[in-house]
Amino acid sequence: MTLLSGIVLLGLLMLHAFTSSQGQEANLLHKAALVKQLRLTDLCLFTEARYTRHLSQADLNTAFQDHPLSMEHFPSGSFTQPNLPGITR
Amino acid sequence: MNVWIEKQRYIIDFTISSLMRRKVKNIGLLVLYTLIVFILASTMFFTYAIKREAAFILEGSPEIVVQNLVAGRHDLLPVSYLEEIKSIRGVANVESRLWGYFYDSLVGANYTLMTPPQNQDSHKNQGKTTVVENDNGDPHANHEAHALFEYEGALLESGTLIIGNGVARMRGIGKDDYMPFMAADGQIMNMKIVGKLSSVSELVSSDLILMSEADLRKLFGISPDKVTDAIVTVRNPSEIQTVAGKIKKRIHSARPIIRDEILRTYSSIFNWRGGMMIVIFSAAVLAFVIFAWDKASGLSAGERQEIGILKAVGWETGDVIQMKFWEGAIVSLSAFLGGVILAYIHVFFTGSAIFEPALEGWSNLYPNFTLTPFINAEQLTTLFFLTVIPYTVATIVPTWRAATIDPDSAMRHTGG
Amino acid sequence: MIELMNVRKVFNAGKPSEFSAVNGVSLHIPENKVTVLKGPSGSGKTTLLSIVGCMSRPSAGRVKLKEREITSLPERFLTDIRRSTFGFIFQQPNLIKGITVLENVMLPAYPLGEKRSHLKARAHRGLSELSLTGKAASKVEWLSGGEAQRVSIVRALINNPSIIIADEPTAHLDTKLSYRFMEIVEKFKAEGKTVIITSHDPLVYESKMIDKVVNLRDGKIEENPT
Repeated sequence: MTLLSGIVLLGLLMLHAFTSSQGQEANLLHKAALVKQLRLTDLCLFTEARYTRHLSQADLNTAFQDHPLSMEHFPSGSFTQPNLPGITR
Repeated sequence: MNVWIEKQRYIIDFTISSLMRRKVKNIGLLVLYTLIVFILASTMFFTYAIKREAAFILEGSPEIVVQNLVAGRHDLLPVSYLEEIKSIRGVANVESRLWGYFYDSLVGANYTLMTPPQNQDSHKNQGKTTVVENDNGDPHANHEAHALFEYEGALLESGTLIIGNGVARMRGIGKDDYMPFMAADGQIMNMKIVGKLSSVSELVSSDLILMSEADLRKLFGISPDKVTDAIVTVRNPSEIQTVAGKIKKRIHSARPIIRDEILRTYSSIFNWRGGMMIVIFSAAVLAFVIFAWDKASGLSAGERQEIGILKAVGWETGDVIQMKFWEGAIVSLSAFLGGVILAYIHVFFTGSAIFEPALEGWSNLYPNFTLTPFINAEQLTTLFFLTVIPYTVATIVPTWRAATIDPDSAMRHTGG
Repeated sequence: MIELMNVRKVFNAGKPSEFSAVNGVSLHIPENKVTVLKGPSGSGKTTLLSIVGCMSRPSAGRVKLKEREITSLPERFLTDIRRSTFGFIFQQPNLIKGITVLENVMLPAYPLGEKRSHLKARAHRGLSELSLTGKAASKVEWLSGGEAQRVSIVRALINNPSIIIADEPTAHLDTKLSYRFMEIVEKFKAEGKTVIITSHDPLVYESKMIDKVVNLRDGKIEENPT
């Protein structure tokens, strides 16, 4: 039955997840080592603005240059939130 | 027990042939439902994988970064502050960082220019000049063997660059090519590329350009008594917070950022609450919920008549409910499995192709990275309970009302 | 076999629309005989039949099946008895559309969880007895009226009931098919089954195989019909 094959396929994918996350450990360690060596602080996810390139280094005012409720200029801004001590989740 | 299993098989068979009777409607529903699960699961897989990955690789980020704020904005940090920070109790070491952004008007991309830490490099590079790129022969090799720079025999010295893979891709350049910059004083600096950072590390290094301290100072016109920020190593890791507090107290314009804050930034990235995805998506989900509710919870006249017949020929109310249970379970389980499987393929095999335009935003330089498939069993279970259970329940609920259909309604509906 | 004692059935009790469909009926239905409940429409035949067939409960009075009081049994037991003791043939074939004839026939046996091969064999045998073998895999929608009724008869027989209940079986059949139906009833009788039919069709109640005719009017038994 299709349902059963679906369950089997999902199981296989989970197995894939397990094995490949093991297999990619070397890559992860490599990235971690680069971070350590170059004293990096952020992931290179959004390169469009300085406060999205270095999310954790953005100064407290940058993300809301004009007004806290102003529309973000960049789509990536909607994926993140400012790293303020008072704001959690 | 055998009888019970056999009975369930009969009921499931009957349910499936019932579903097939309204093929177009049910397949349409299934496709829509699968799509919703697919988007949910893709988001879930992607965000969880990136968070896990960030948590892992940023574990090595600096314990404390000290920035200098002037009028609420970043400013360069006077070198004299370094000594001052060093004198604080509990501080093991203070290093300076020199970095900045560079807008490449040729391709419209932003790069991050930085100077690799001096001392570390010189000692590292003495003998180790190995390759990073293709080390597939032995993935479990000690990561030291993954030399961190693709020096290919050349040291990073004045007048040379090591570029991130994304930069190389954007500009279509590589080793031994030249990259001209206009320095702050108007002079043209033609820099030679001596190496490229590994493509594996693009998630952290895609837009990097490494250059010597002298070159970077010249390019940006930064005087020798200024650095971008400082990095503080603390003797006792449990004192990071205290030391950060002391720094703030000693240098009023300083803004210390501790490692926990960096990690927290990335553990709250792609938050459910934020994001335009969720706004658009919640509308879609709501529409689906209404549709599914209508489909699952309403009993059409045809279905009522059918239930009447089933009861007349000897099905108990319980049997009818079991049938409806299977109906809901089959539809929602298929959608769940289909959606999750497609999402997994989407995120981990196709590199989240559908999300890419949204993630790229307006940036011209976007890293090419493959995510390590971290799966959160808890999230999967949550998704399961959020999709399969409500739908199944919504299918069963109206059947309670069907319980009030008297078996003799089958005799009655024509009168007699 | 079946004993009704002063049975009443009231619909919409307590409301202005209250009416009693069956009004104090006491009746004995003998085993292995064909009994016809005769009367005009609205006389309470169908209601009485559904009470006899454990499909609904009387508002008052008692029903005994094989010396066993069944009026007060909970729904589950009633369903159980209904499934194993009664086979129902309705005025309309009441087949479920979209699935095959074979599936329709097997439907009443599904909750029993019988072994598939046995059940299938039984269903095929039943279909062949009423010369429906060729139709087993057809969808119900493609059947003619007579075929559909025969399918519903096979379905009524699938659990091998000892009592067959037929509600106006000939109402939608032409004369030829009605005779055909009565032949089937005769076969039931020969097999030792008890048959209860409601009808106001002379073709049915004047048939020579009928053992007992009960006349109903306004929910009561007419002792001496004129």
